[in-house]
Amino acid sequence: MLDWLKSVVDFISTPSISLTLILLMFPFVFPPTAWFETWHRRLGLHNLWTNRGGLVMFSVITLIFVWGFTDVNFSKILGKPDNVPIMILIYSVFFFLWLAMKSAYENDAHIAAGEPVQEYYPPEDKVLVWPDLVYIELIALILMMVFLLVWSIGLPAPLEEPANPSLSPNPAKAPWYFLGLQEMLVYFDPWLAGVVFPSLIIVGLMAIPYLDSDRKGSGYYSFAGRRTAVFVFLFGWLVLWVFLIVVGTFFRGPNWNFFGPFEEWSVTKVVPLININLSEYVWVKLLRVGLPANPLVRESVGIIMLVLYFGLTPVMLARGKLRPLLDKLGSIRYSLIIFLALAMVLLPIKMYLRWTLNLHYIISIPEAFFNI
Amino acid sequence: MSEKPIPRAALNTPQDELSPAESVKRKGFISWLVVGWVAFASATGTFLAMIVRFLFPNVLFEPPQSFKIGFPDDFQIGVVDERFKALRGIWVIRDSEGIYVLSTVCTHLGCTPNWLRTEGKFKCPCHGSGFRKSGINFEGPAPRPLERYRIVLAENGQIIVDKSIKFQQEKGQWSHPEAFLKV
Amino acid sequence: MAEKKPKSRLTAISESPVWKSIFRTGIPVTRRQRMMGILNNVFLHLHPVRLPKHAVKLKYTWCMGGLSFFLFLVLTISGILLMFYYRPTVEYAYTDIMDLSEQVPLGIMRELHRWGAHAMVIAVWLHMFRVFMTGSYKPPREFNWVVGVLLMFLTLFLSFTGYLLPWDQLAIWAITVGSNMARATPFLGHEGPGASLLAIGDINLVTMSSDVRFALLGGRFVGEGALLRFYVLHCIGLPFIIMIFMAVHFWRVRKDGGISGPV
Repeated sequence: MLDWLKSVVDFISTPSISLTLILLMFPFVFPPTAWFETWHRRLGLHNLWTNRGGLVMFSVITLIFVWGFTDVNFSKILGKPDNVPIMILIYSVFFFLWLAMKSAYENDAHIAAGEPVQEYYPPEDKVLVWPDLVYIELIALILMMVFLLVWSIGLPAPLEEPANPSLSPNPAKAPWYFLGLQEMLVYFDPWLAGVVFPSLIIVGLMAIPYLDSDRKGSGYYSFAGRRTAVFVFLFGWLVLWVFLIVVGTFFRGPNWNFFGPFEEWSVTKVVPLININLSEYVWVKLLRVGLPANPLVRESVGIIMLVLYFGLTPVMLARGKLRPLLDKLGSIRYSLIIFLALAMVLLPIKMYLRWTLNLHYIISIPEAFFNI
Repeated sequence: MSEKPIPRAALNTPQDELSPAESVKRKGFISWLVVGWVAFASATGTFLAMIVRFLFPNVLFEPPQSFKIGFPDDFQIGVVDERFKALRGIWVIRDSEGIYVLSTVCTHLGCTPNWLRTEGKFKCPCHGSGFRKSGINFEGPAPRPLERYRIVLAENGQIIVDKSIKFQQEKGQWSHPEAFLKV
Repeated sequence: MAEKKPKSRLTAISESPVWKSIFRTGIPVTRRQRMMGILNNVFLHLHPVRLPKHAVKLKYTWCMGGLSFFLFLVLTISGILLMFYYRPTVEYAYTDIMDLSEQVPLGIMRELHRWGAHAMVIAVWLHMFRVFMTGSYKPPREFNWVVGVLLMFLTLFLSFTGYLLPWDQLAIWAITVGSNMARATPFLGHEGPGASLLAIGDINLVTMSSDVRFALLGGRFVGEGALLRFYVLHCIGLPFIIMIFMAVHFWRVRKDGGISGPV
């Protein structure tokens, strides 16, 4: 029975399955529009952000970890000293997500009832920094220091074999906070996954206050008034960053193959990964003429597709559903938002193309190191 | 908190604007101003360029790039020779026609792939790129084949490998006579 | 005559001329003394004197910004101590780290430094999450959000440069993979798109020993030069930059109207 359950968990953890499940669930958990909101309520998902919901999430995570520590293979991964931060990350992300959403839902109820939000106090109602804040800070610092000391005494920092430039460990992993990027590297070339996308992440984050023109919801937790903005941010942070870190840490084993949590990390696991370029699909398999010599002609299909993706989609969306957004933000801000969003969505799109069609590159010009 | 941002209007009071006499004085000064700023900008630019150049030393203390690896008969046909992997970072492979030297640096992100004899492929542990014995990439994220190094015979019949000259398949350089030692 | 209460030792100290020369306001008992205590102290002056009530509620602030700063201080102090025992050369780096846990009394300084760094990364992310969820990046605090994003990026880069210093297998390969991404930087890396366009005749300007990765590593691969450069960046270069941005960040919190709150 337990073994059967383990194989089910292993199957669900496969990125193609788990990401699909998350993508399907995500808009219902964090409804970006009114339509999703009604279903969010109908499915009872708003109960996640209550005390009971928090307790359930906490128990599920703890149960998975406890279960994991009893398993031979999973405990090896969980027990690695460098993976402890990931467990702390998982707990704290869920806890603070719960806390923020709970506060937001409480405030949404206040706002709907026409009452002031819970952070509101009359302007004349102030406290002195000494002692009210200084003592909170002191206690927080002491607790943090105690936490660090216990962690440091209980868990020695890892030190592996001395550096050996000729022997890559299998698997060789980046520091955990970059494992999201390393996961991207499976699907994109280094110049995209390692340089362009990180730059876009930084620029995109910095642009948030200038792109989000909505002045409401500043200085208190809220969701209903700014659901789309919260949805986009949480999608990027939780799915495309934290989730990929968890996948990279727990599920990527020898030869960067995928391993379920209860699977043994076997070096000999063979996963056939024959990848095919889009140009090969078009010229060789579809038209049966062989690849043209000129790289630009050869890759024309991919180039056209990407130009349409980044050029035509914003126009189509502006004609259709997103017309109000365009009117509200103006064309420059609108184009920037759509461009960043399309670049963000390109990652899951490429992932699915790889999983379904074994697609290697949409555009492949290795002569100029230009592969997308 | 009690602090309020300073209202914008307070920053531009009428006293801040220049009287006509003052702006005329300034007009005569403007050409000197341009000269001054150009000089300042170019000095700063030069200094920044110096800082950038400072990051690139003239001499590098790294192992020699050119070395001898033995006689052609030391290498068996059909075998991937891993003796030079640790020290020199190369695989020496001999097939029925001759010998070529592959770099042990994965073209994806520079990890060192492992030669899996049973599967007959180089497999990179970092992101799962796979290369055939020839060095051609066929699976995983590697964008291009492994690089080959210059290989020639010395006068005493030993093989010289020169890592400072590399040949890339996607640029059509593998057909270069020094990319392959006919035996 | 009313009998005078005898002074306690503590009061005697706090009323001595030496004490008063250091802490001018005395023990903060009255409202006025408490306000002056904040105003007259260079460190506490980071804070305003009075706050709206919601600003001291943990449910609102999570204290993550403060903890990030505290962790930075812990890392600075433990880092300085570690520097006494560590030599950034290929020959000594690994053995020096080994010695830290065995030859040095109370050998948990490295653990404190390493786990503290992980904790700081998480604290900074959670701080950003809090600021987003409360909409605190909205005007007039837009620019401070930008500074915060830079601080987060610098935190990650600080942690990344520190990762190489133990000079073990984990370190060298994480940095090899990480720095090889720089190799693919468009135009500036020798395997980046567009790099081959930067050439004079047949001579490529962007090569393995003249690209952005070389500037980072000080060599063609992760070796002696990289270890030294990462050491210097980790101990001096990046802390210097991050402290400048931190000063701007804290200053702007006050200047943009203090902690955010409902109007």
